[in-house]
Amino acid sequence: MALLIGPAKIDGQIIQLRISRVVLGIFAGGILAFCGGILQGLFGNPLVEPYTLGSASGAALGGSIGVLIFGSVNPFLAFLGALGVGFFVYTIARLEGGLFRDRLILAGVVMSFLCSSLVMIIMVMGGKELYEILYLLMGYLGIIINATNRILIILLILISLIIVIFLYRFHRELDIISQGIETAAGLGIDIQKLSLIIFFSTSLIIGFTVSIVGAIGFVGLIIPHISRLIFGPKHLYHLPASFILGGTFLLLADTLSRIITIYELPVGVVTSLIGVPFFIYLYKK
Amino acid sequence: MKKAIELKEVGFAYNKKDVIKELNLTCQEGEFIGVIGPNGAGKSTLLKLLCGILKPRKGKIFLYEKDIGDMGHREIARLIGFVPQETHFTLNFPVEDVVSMGRFPYLNPFQRLSRQDREAIEKAINQATITEYRNRPVNSLSSGERQRVVIARALAQQPKILLLDEPTSHLDLHHQYRIMELLDDLNKKGMTIIIVNHDLNLASLFCGRLVLLNKGTIWATGSAREIINTRTLREVYKTTVQVIEHPQTGIPQIIIPRKEQTYETDK
Repeated sequence: MALLIGPAKIDGQIIQLRISRVVLGIFAGGILAFCGGILQGLFGNPLVEPYTLGSASGAALGGSIGVLIFGSVNPFLAFLGALGVGFFVYTIARLEGGLFRDRLILAGVVMSFLCSSLVMIIMVMGGKELYEILYLLMGYLGIIINATNRILIILLILISLIIVIFLYRFHRELDIISQGIETAAGLGIDIQKLSLIIFFSTSLIIGFTVSIVGAIGFVGLIIPHISRLIFGPKHLYHLPASFILGGTFLLLADTLSRIITIYELPVGVVTSLIGVPFFIYLYKK
Repeated sequence: MKKAIELKEVGFAYNKKDVIKELNLTCQEGEFIGVIGPNGAGKSTLLKLLCGILKPRKGKIFLYEKDIGDMGHREIARLIGFVPQETHFTLNFPVEDVVSMGRFPYLNPFQRLSRQDREAIEKAINQATITEYRNRPVNSLSSGERQRVVIARALAQQPKILLLDEPTSHLDLHHQYRIMELLDDLNKKGMTIIIVNHDLNLASLFCGRLVLLNKGTIWATGSAREIINTRTLREVYKTTVQVIEHPQTGIPQIIIPRKEQTYETDK
């Protein structure tokens, strides 16, 4: 605990700051890993991650525009970007008939490419602000805790808790979808409706999370795999486990990011650095 | 006799291309129907329309006199079990878990399996004779064994009607035979069964009635004796075959002849 919060006997404000950071880390990691698990289930694709569907790239773009205008990352603009891009992805996926689910990935990836190009342009244009954008892209839990941001964090926790519990209801559907769309439809699952529900609710909380902590990589992609390796393929078990593992893992990575070097590394760098060897170890076992 | 399924002038199109055209078909409870026909005739589409995966563009489908358009997805799944052409298991569940998923149409999100559910699962496992590997991961099984697991999952739905899309393709002789025997057995116990099958001989032997689809319409329907003949098959498949009688049952079976020339050289 001392390691997480910092040395004892420091004034209350710092403790409060550290606690906010711990809580934020747990929830951000939990949300990303949980959504990663849900989306990998829905698409039956182990390479899908929370950022595949585009809302995260939208948040990065919005955040970068904020840096250009205000000189610092603005969570509101970032969230606006997430919503905007999410809407575009939805529209593109809806352009033609057929299964909405199967078009979502392509629409999401295409929009992500567009967003990263725009972010690159902004990075080239910006001078000093480059550093800020870099942290936004790699992920950073050290958001300045002022009154507005505190409300944002509380809001994130409340909304994501509601959505996570709501999405957890679909654990059986996701188990069945792993055996193919036709099997699922034959058992009475409305894939079209389920895809819409999952797309909108995950896009919302992922966009929100990235708006606050940046696009932390690895957690949303690999933690669900680790969770399945440990707890088996049933979504009933590995989804909540993903949330807990993701939260714990991000907290650990953040702590390390602050003590590994004299600089504070972006946490996204550390997640991959320690996560990949751990994943290979588990995979071999 | 109750009408299990009734199609009234049903039409369906993929991207403006008509696949099923004004199709009328009635299936009585307890029938064992084999849907046959060339590739692209609309066989799989017909099955998907029957179990509500696809919605007809025209016409109406009734299940036990009830319009399928007015029924919920789960309600249909409690009446009809569907075995798709091929099942890939992207997650490696144990066999028993796969069969349990057949109870989905009866369960709420966090409801645990009741005694009734467990009984249905046990019965399905016994009927499909997969008891010996019920605890094994499904991907460790051969494709013939896996197909029986999928059928068990459909049986756990406790359906009145079973639809199977080419249940015996990709399977070796032994497993083909076992699957058809299993279906025959279920049918004798009262299950209404409709299968799509490319193997005309198997379909003729086991199905009480054949429905020959061609270009989205019913070309002919009746028992194998009524519709399996050289002329009809030439019209539909553009292939000349020889039809002989099954030595045991007298049911028509087809033989594919070779060209005279090749036959000579083989000699």
